[in-house]
Amino acid sequence: MKLSYVIKRILYSLFVFAVVITLNFFIPRIGVEDPAERYYPPQGNMSDLEYEIVKQLTREQYGFHVSTWQQYVNYLKGLAKGDLGTSFRPGSPKVWDLIKSRLPWTLVLSVSTMLIGLVVGVLFGVLAAVKRGCWQDTLLLNASTVMVALPSFFIALILSFYLGFEWEVFPAYTDPNMVSDFSWTWEGISRVARNAALPVLSMMVGSIISYAQGTRNAVIAVTNEDFVLTARAKGLTRNTIRYKHILRNSLLPIVTSLGMSVSGLIGGQVVIEQVFNWNGMGTLFLEANNTNDYPLMMGIMLLLSGFTILSILVTDLVYVLLDPRVTVGDKR
Amino acid sequence: MKAKRTLGQRFWQGITKRVSGAGALLAKVWAHKQGKVGLIMVSFLVLVAIFAPSIAPYDPYDVSQRAAKGLPPSREHLLGTTINTGQDIFSMLIYGTRVSLIVGVTSGVCIAFVGSILGVAAGYLGGAVDTLLMRLVDIMLVIPTLPLVIVLTNVLGRDFWIIILIFVALGWTGLARTIRSLVLVLKNSNYVKAAELAGASRWHIMTRHILPGTSHLLIMSTALSSAGIMVAEAGLSFLGLGDPTAISWGKMLAEAQSGGALLFGAWWWILAPGLGIFLAVFGFMRLGLVLEEIANPRMKRTSSVYKLFKSLDSSYVEEVFRSMDDYQKIGAAEVASGGGQHYGTGLEA
Repeated sequence: MKLSYVIKRILYSLFVFAVVITLNFFIPRIGVEDPAERYYPPQGNMSDLEYEIVKQLTREQYGFHVSTWQQYVNYLKGLAKGDLGTSFRPGSPKVWDLIKSRLPWTLVLSVSTMLIGLVVGVLFGVLAAVKRGCWQDTLLLNASTVMVALPSFFIALILSFYLGFEWEVFPAYTDPNMVSDFSWTWEGISRVARNAALPVLSMMVGSIISYAQGTRNAVIAVTNEDFVLTARAKGLTRNTIRYKHILRNSLLPIVTSLGMSVSGLIGGQVVIEQVFNWNGMGTLFLEANNTNDYPLMMGIMLLLSGFTILSILVTDLVYVLLDPRVTVGDKR
Repeated sequence: MKAKRTLGQRFWQGITKRVSGAGALLAKVWAHKQGKVGLIMVSFLVLVAIFAPSIAPYDPYDVSQRAAKGLPPSREHLLGTTINTGQDIFSMLIYGTRVSLIVGVTSGVCIAFVGSILGVAAGYLGGAVDTLLMRLVDIMLVIPTLPLVIVLTNVLGRDFWIIILIFVALGWTGLARTIRSLVLVLKNSNYVKAAELAGASRWHIMTRHILPGTSHLLIMSTALSSAGIMVAEAGLSFLGLGDPTAISWGKMLAEAQSGGALLFGAWWWILAPGLGIFLAVFGFMRLGLVLEEIANPRMKRTSSVYKLFKSLDSSYVEEVFRSMDDYQKIGAAEVASGGGQHYGTGLEA
């Protein structure tokens, strides 16, 4: 039963991934007959013949000279070999090489945001649940209602204004030499930390509150379950119940959802990276958008979607393995 | 047997019924403490948007006022002026209300429309329609939203209406899923069974029996998704990817950053648009949450707030779509058991 569920789940994920790949291939081709026109839009100062020559060269360089169907097959073949495509940038770098150079910098931001948010958020959430109805709880509720109406980029601007420009606590813009001068020394790492402070701070507030809110509700929900009552009836101490029975069971859904939140974070981080000029995938994506570099954009999208699919799959499977209460089967 | 009403009579009765229904709902919202706040904020913004030209003291598009560059707030310029062009920020703020409200509310209403149709179809018809729609939802939830919105604006264009279209095309999924799970419950209720036995057509059952049962969810989701879309629109304009001709709050923030507001300490230029976004989103969200509470009194306030905030990552577009996705957790089981608090595991995803 479990094994067949696992296989079914994996096959379904592969199906979703296949559809995403197909969409990825066709979305940039909406509305144009010739992908070469995406690469090289019509220019006023060029005669028709010149334009045709340029387009023909582009077609051959990027494999647009064959039929769309054949291009799709080639794209799939490339993906099977781990080739995300070739960027439209001068020098035709490989998409994966561009992403590879930016990915660690993006992860620095999203992973540290997530970890800080998780630790502080869970602590605060437990506190709010334990002191239900007290000022800690009310504070959390009010903070969350206010925070959801404040976009993260606005918080980023405010932080950058006060902490960056007025009081000069942290650099308001990322040091352009941070990446090129990076080394695994104390100096290099502390420099990254200094530059990452404001972006992480501006995303952290929301992250803390969402984890706190999630933890609070999960803890309260678990507290109302029968097995907690049983434990209490058995005469276990309050702390044993609190930490062994309640906390452990309420953290499971939060911890397993971490994978999904990473790709969500990276997707939403685009704006924050833009505000601080951070050298990550978000800015890479925006650069690609401004230069109509479709292969690069779609490469990033594919990577993020693939990661989401993978983390949903892992979450589901881990759940089935860990939680005996989860009933296996098609619940639809 | 009642005498047959003429078409005109039926039309008027329909109208008055709906007006009085809306009036009763408004009265309930007004009686609610939080609802009053939301209602006042939203109606204030609507009035500001409608009468923007008469409220705004200056022309917000006027970039020729060289003498007025970078003035701090004063009696002439309530919220100061911009540093690079000398535009009056108060007037820009007033005009920005229009973009935010039109994009937000139009998308919210359209999402409710599309989401309810597809959700009811999937839930009631079942079979291939259901499978197809729910697979589509699964696929759309996997693709990162903000990057997809950016790609689509790049491919389709950045016109005002196209942006609304994109938001609707990507925003219906969560609502459709919730409606579907509610419909699955309604489908098994006795009155639907009775209607089926009486020989009512599927169309009649869907429009007359099932759809009204989902109306409280629709009203709430319209308010909440409007709020979410407003944040999303602000973000898109902030990235410089909104409609280039319109003044919007997100674009004002972007101009503030690129125009040196940070460098020259023009705090008013940053705070004003942020305040606008905050007021609009906060008002609509309050209204949505209160509407939910009125429609479903057993659902505690904390739980609806939680549903919103669980989805609050740092990412704002995600926030919209994920918060809508979270409605799915008022899943069939929960609705059936009376909407008790229940921590959804997301396993059904």
